[in-house]
Amino acid sequence: MIAIDRLRKSKNRTRILRDVSFEARPGRVTGFLGPNGAGKTSTLRVLLGLDRPESGTALVNGRPYASWPRPLTMVGAVLDGSGAHRARSARAHLRWVAASNGLPRGRVGEVLDLVGLAGDARKRAGRFSLGMSRRLGLATAMLGDPPILVLDEPVNGLDPAGIRWIRDFLRTSAAEGRTVLLSSHLMGELAEIADDVVVIDHGQVVAHGTVAEVTGEHRTLEDAFFALTAEAGRTWPA
Amino acid sequence: MAGMIRAELGKLLGLPTARVGLVLGVLIAPLLVLVNAPATRASLADGTFGDPTDLGFRNLGIGLLGALILGVVSVSSEYTSTGEDSPGVRQLTVTLAAMPDRTRLLIAKATALVAVVTAQGVGTATATLGLTELVHGEAVPAPSPARVAAAVLYWVLTTLLAFALTLIARNGVVTLTVLILNSSVVSLSYLLYKVTPLAAYLPDIVGAHMFIRGMDLAERIPPVTAGLVMSAWVTAFLALAAVIFHRRDA
Ligand SMILES: Nc1ncnc2c1ncn2[C@@H]1O[C@H](COP(=O)(O)OP(=O)(O)O)[C@@H](O)[C@H]1O
Ligand SMILES: [Mg+2]
Repeated sequence: MIAIDRLRKSKNRTRILRDVSFEARPGRVTGFLGPNGAGKTSTLRVLLGLDRPESGTALVNGRPYASWPRPLTMVGAVLDGSGAHRARSARAHLRWVAASNGLPRGRVGEVLDLVGLAGDARKRAGRFSLGMSRRLGLATAMLGDPPILVLDEPVNGLDPAGIRWIRDFLRTSAAEGRTVLLSSHLMGELAEIADDVVVIDHGQVVAHGTVAEVTGEHRTLEDAFFALTAEAGRTWPA
Repeated sequence: MAGMIRAELGKLLGLPTARVGLVLGVLIAPLLVLVNAPATRASLADGTFGDPTDLGFRNLGIGLLGALILGVVSVSSEYTSTGEDSPGVRQLTVTLAAMPDRTRLLIAKATALVAVVTAQGVGTATATLGLTELVHGEAVPAPSPARVAAAVLYWVLTTLLAFALTLIARNGVVTLTVLILNSSVVSLSYLLYKVTPLAAYLPDIVGAHMFIRGMDLAERIPPVTAGLVMSAWVTAFLALAAVIFHRRDA
């Protein structure tokens, strides 16, 4: 369970989050949807304790992320890429992460198998393709077998096979009872993965509910998205 | 905490740059003893060398470069981008997700670094001083254990200073360049010393008084005072870096 409550944050004197509130529940995939620059990454960084909000709270099962003693057993997160140092092998990367949270070394092989990277364990992260990096990021997130997954734009830039693999992976995770929160600016993709949707624009949540609720009268989630975000005045030149 | 220290040890020793620093630090000083042997023998013979007990310790200085690399890389590796396609992604994101308590993280990081660099310092000092005795024999009196320990302490404190400065700057190249220029080409503190003798107490030059007898400065600072002053400097820089690291968005 993730509970975000009235998050407010500025950068360079510009408000980038304006009282962002929403929840993500166990057993469901929650899509965090919004155009580029809407504030998705900023919200997730606050949730993970990487950045500090001016006000508001972001709680993971009732407590701030940073207050969990072995946080990887509570939340697995992937923020764009694997975060593995380029000179490190996938295995070396996973080993230090496992050690940091007192996880058994055997988990490293298990998560490499899980994401289909067993054959690339000794390869340096700098040589990984985008799809492989994404998988390594997921492997890192799964080390602690956490009940909650947080992913920032997980399908961005992937080929159709990669997108399908991620989609199946996340659906399976939710079916296992995990809380899955993923951000995306691709509403078409999100409509197929998510149960619930939170739409953010200009740092403000403009709609939330099930996919059906947010779609409402509109033909598709995409139409609803444009209607919702157009109200905020964003238009592309014709 | 033990797991965090183990993680930080693995991270540091797994970096190729850190391994280069480790090996370079241990090898370069003893090598210098051999390379310099003929010239040193001559200056010892004609009495222009100064305090002969300084000899092994002076040669030790160059190896400090390896320790500096370790101190810088321990932090800078967190801030280097991990891929061209995602310039904003750094190892620090994973580090903080795994170890979100920043104070404990810094303690684990510094502990791992100190462990590696102490081993390196002891190894280098033993090799360098041993080799000096082997090459020059009677001409160079054997150093006291306290002086060797002081040299290793200097080695560790300098590394921690590099660690703190890199954490403040968030950039390894800048820090390493400044530190190397300052120690090899021109020391700002030596220049300042020409203005005021108080500059002898600045962090980059005060520590050497712990184990070098014939300093180039007229200022005489007792070894224990030098050790305390340098420790105070390093503590202050570490505290400043920790406060900044806490306040800053990752
Ligand atoms: N480091 C930063 N400095 C200044 N502005 C930033 C920074 N990071 C993000 N922003 C701004 O914050 C807003 C939200 O960005 P972000 O959370 O990355 O959006 P999204 O992930 O939805 O694309 C944008 O307007 C962006 O320009
Ligand atoms: Mg983003």
